[in-house]
Amino acid sequence: MKRRTAVLLGAAAVAAAVGITAVLCRPRQDTVLHLGVFSGSYWGTPNGSSYQVLDDAISRFESSHPGVRVEYESGIPTDEYSEWLSGKLLAGEEPDLFFVLPEDFGLLAETGALAPLDWLIDGQNGLERSIYYDACLQAGLYEGSQLALPYESAAMVMFVNRTLLEEYGIPMPENDWTWDDLYTICRTIATAQPDSTQRDYGIYGYTWQNALYANGSTLFSEDGRQCYLSDSRVTAAIQFVQGLNALDAGYTVTAQDFDTGHVAFRPFLFSEYRAYQPYPWRVKKYSSFVWDCLRMPAGPEGGNTSELHTVQVGISARSSHTELAWELLCSLCADEVTQGQLFLQSQGISPLRDVTENTALLNRIFAETQGTSTFNSAAIGEIMRTAATVPQFAAREQAVAMAETAVSGALADNASLTTSLAAAQREIDLYLQNTG
Amino acid sequence: MKQDKTLRTLRGLMLAINLVLVVYYSLIRGLTPLRVAAGFEARDFLAQAGMVPAPPWQMAVLSLGVFIPLAVLMLGKDHLPADRPALRASVFAAEILLAAAEVITLDFYYRALFLMVLADLVSTVQERYGRVCIIAVLTLLYALSDYDIASAVFPSIPMRQYLSYYTDGYHSWFSGVESLLTSLHVLLFVVFLVLLFLGQKAENTRVQQLNAQLQESYRQLQEYADKTAHMAELRERNRLAREIHDTLGHTLTGIIMTTDASLVLMDAAPDQAKQQLQLANRTAREGLNDVRRSINALRPDALEHSDFAEALENTIEKFCLTTSARVTYVQNAGELDFAPDEEEAIYRVIQESLTNGVRHGQARNIEVRLDREGDQLTITVRDDGIGMPAGKKEGFGLRHMRERLELLHGSLRYGNRPAEQGGGFELTARLQPRQKGEENI
Repeated sequence: MKRRTAVLLGAAAVAAAVGITAVLCRPRQDTVLHLGVFSGSYWGTPNGSSYQVLDDAISRFESSHPGVRVEYESGIPTDEYSEWLSGKLLAGEEPDLFFVLPEDFGLLAETGALAPLDWLIDGQNGLERSIYYDACLQAGLYEGSQLALPYESAAMVMFVNRTLLEEYGIPMPENDWTWDDLYTICRTIATAQPDSTQRDYGIYGYTWQNALYANGSTLFSEDGRQCYLSDSRVTAAIQFVQGLNALDAGYTVTAQDFDTGHVAFRPFLFSEYRAYQPYPWRVKKYSSFVWDCLRMPAGPEGGNTSELHTVQVGISARSSHTELAWELLCSLCADEVTQGQLFLQSQGISPLRDVTENTALLNRIFAETQGTSTFNSAAIGEIMRTAATVPQFAAREQAVAMAETAVSGALADNASLTTSLAAAQREIDLYLQNTG
Repeated sequence: MKQDKTLRTLRGLMLAINLVLVVYYSLIRGLTPLRVAAGFEARDFLAQAGMVPAPPWQMAVLSLGVFIPLAVLMLGKDHLPADRPALRASVFAAEILLAAAEVITLDFYYRALFLMVLADLVSTVQERYGRVCIIAVLTLLYALSDYDIASAVFPSIPMRQYLSYYTDGYHSWFSGVESLLTSLHVLLFVVFLVLLFLGQKAENTRVQQLNAQLQESYRQLQEYADKTAHMAELRERNRLAREIHDTLGHTLTGIIMTTDASLVLMDAAPDQAKQQLQLANRTAREGLNDVRRSINALRPDALEHSDFAEALENTIEKFCLTTSARVTYVQNAGELDFAPDEEEAIYRVIQESLTNGVRHGQARNIEVRLDREGDQLTITVRDDGIGMPAGKKEGFGLRHMRERLELLHGSLRYGNRPAEQGGGFELTARLQPRQKGEENI
């Protein structure tokens, strides 16, 4: 019996020794950081080398962080990225850091998927918040806490059909133009129309939601708890857009009309401008007319404010490599080399002030249109400084749909706009408070 | 005993049901998100849930990781030593803590686990105060772990949201099995408590019966004690009667005989009569002393103040002087060193025999011998009197002599001597004196 015990003890000791040796001598494995990223451009514009900037940034990061490897799953289309990321979150396999689409930020922030970054921003390897445009940084703010850093932004700008304006003898508006200027031009075009089927129109695709930011307002409060539908500035925007639409004498202008050169204005994301502005896209898409870009027209109570869409990068709240992920996050979002490369290759605008307002970079980007366009490099900085971030929250989609229904209902009913908007606002507020 | 076994079986069943439910919740909780993600509904799920659920494996690993030690503690608790209250208390506390941890890891979907622990601990803990504490704590925990209350502090995704991703058929199947199991568990809990309660009632009755038996035994014991006291009193009364007979009888016989002699001598020899009267007077005084002594210590005065051999000689000498009989005293027993009760017995045997010889046998010569053969001491008193009349019953004196000797494990033999040997009466008493230091048995 004693002998058996001794043999057993000896065997256990040998096994323990082997185990410890194996653990101590195991090959050193790299720390792997997982990155969640979509392919292509978020802005819906063609982008041939979507992973180029990323790969370069990663290889710079890896060479400055020996023993760390960054992996990402490629080939996830932009429109499937939300679902892919949500699925990973449910399975508990989300990447350490991942790209956050503008429409996803509210959901990811509310569900607690994003790690707060304030302590990292203010920490030893932190950064100055002032390197970013306020509106860009604000996109990642949730309940007073920074949950993501901006990677790339795009602002709303106004496309102008210069050929059409010249036909009607209308001078190209300046970048500080107003609603009145826009209305005057549209009315000029509308009144000059012969009674024929082939006519020209003032504007296409300009909604009251595009207009309200330029009148100093937003549709929702930043925390997504309140709707400002019956605010006088919002009402003014609705009435202004209604007035513009009335000029079309009951005809609904289509994208086809714009593409064939029969519409003077159309709001677009700046990324669209950048995508189709260089040769050969310029000729392919809009070949029949010369076009240019302007800032959004200012309302009576606001400035030439554009709504801003920002793609961000955040760190998973459950990541076990938060500090390492932060360093990678900084090399994506705060590194001027990466951001400069991105600014050149992608269609967005860099959220970094020093990159977006770097004259050498701007000269390369606007080389082709330099001198001929009113939309010059100086305008971009101005757009970014004055842009307004659209508040993002999980219930936004539904709340916007409710507001749109209410507005079109109120306009169709011909009832008192103020009264019906106030009623709709109460309803939406109730919905927001119940879901929030 | 049988009841303990039933309770243990019930507890085992409850444990098994809880295990099944823990596995059920873990499976629903773990597999549903994967199913949702595979069905491309993940974003909807997140938007509806308002929070990112913990990784799918987490609940299964944690809840089973807590359940196993809980079960081990529950079943192993039966073998706890009863004399280690601190250890027992900490084990009970650990059981409650583990149950709370289990309910938390199950996201408060299921809280009847507390009922099982309540039943288990209440059946184990005997102290009233401890029981009250355990019931209070567990009831509070049970009340607070209601999903609607607890999810305010520990936010989690409600079970119904997970279930809503299944078709109605599966959904009702799942809910059906779940409510069947939880109802069964509650039923077992109630049966457990009822059995426990009934068992304790039976035990109370048994304790009451035992108590009644104890009372009865006590009463009987009291009776025996009274009887014993009564018997002791009787025995003492007999002893007193013997004493009175031995002392007063002896003295008065002496006095009567002396006064008879003096009456006879009064006229013929007044001097001798006077002498006889003085002797009678002395005998009466000694008799009085004897009586006093009997009252005080019931011990012969002669023995009180002198050594035994001397006392015997004095008594015999005095007997010779007070009576007309001639006493021959032969002492062949060596040193006369006995225990007080033995001395008293020997003294009384000799004194009584001398008195009997003169009073009943009208003996003229009396021989007293003390012999020792080994341990055996033999007292022989022989006289030349008329002896004992045939058919006469043993008198009071002889009977007491025998009793006294028998108390000392001795024996008494007596009888008339045959005529050819000179007739008369002979008495032989035998006893084995104890060695010095030997206790009276």
